[in-house]
Amino acid sequence: MISVLDVPAAGLLSWVLPGLGHIYVGERVRGWILLVTMTLTYWTGVAVGGVRGTVDIKGHTGWFMAQICSGGHTGAALALRWAAGPGEGETPAAPPNVQPRRGESPPTFYGHFASIDIGIVYTAVAGLLNVLIILDAIVRADHASRDAEPRPAYAAGGGRGA
Amino acid sequence: MILAGLFTSSIELSGHGRLALVLPICLAIAVVYKTIRCDDVRDVPKAAFPLWVTIVLGMYAIGLALWGVFSLMV
Repeated sequence: MISVLDVPAAGLLSWVLPGLGHIYVGERVRGWILLVTMTLTYWTGVAVGGVRGTVDIKGHTGWFMAQICSGGHTGAALALRWAAGPGEGETPAAPPNVQPRRGESPPTFYGHFASIDIGIVYTAVAGLLNVLIILDAIVRADHASRDAEPRPAYAAGGGRGA
Repeated sequence: MILAGLFTSSIELSGHGRLALVLPICLAIAVVYKTIRCDDVRDVPKAAFPLWVTIVLGMYAIGLALWGVFSLMV
């Protein structure tokens, strides 16, 4: 049975892992579809762009704001990035038209720039889709908690005017 | 360790590869949207497929139009 306190819990669980809030509310099949779809989308993006270029708080702050909406995946990606290290000695492939300004050191690229762009879009879209999933989990939990509440005596008779 | 290696470095994509990567993300958007909207989960595949086709065709049409504008300007 869902209580009023479970409504924010459903939202929080959805933020941690997309679909988990739905499973918590009792919508198991819906939750698993969302969990599998979102996990595949997010980690396809990371696999295409590489974790160093895709999840980058300083380099792509705006995109990171979208990515963090999928909290568990982004946390895992940040942990993987931290564990993988700075990536020195990898094959940097700079965009052909990017030149360092005078007095600046050349920028470090962690991979193929077009792939990084695609990886960023995948992970950011996954994060923004998770906002929809969080809201849906909250609404479904709210409806379930209202259905579980004992109805007032006057409401059982069809309302006060009846 | 091998699994982690899959996610640490970016992969090199050809032009066709970039175009093909529109398909999975559009499918994800269609599936997530219809999973939320459909009352019965069994209706999701039937509802998501036309939406996926619409999004893909729309994205390619926009891309083609922008490519046409770019070709005229440059």
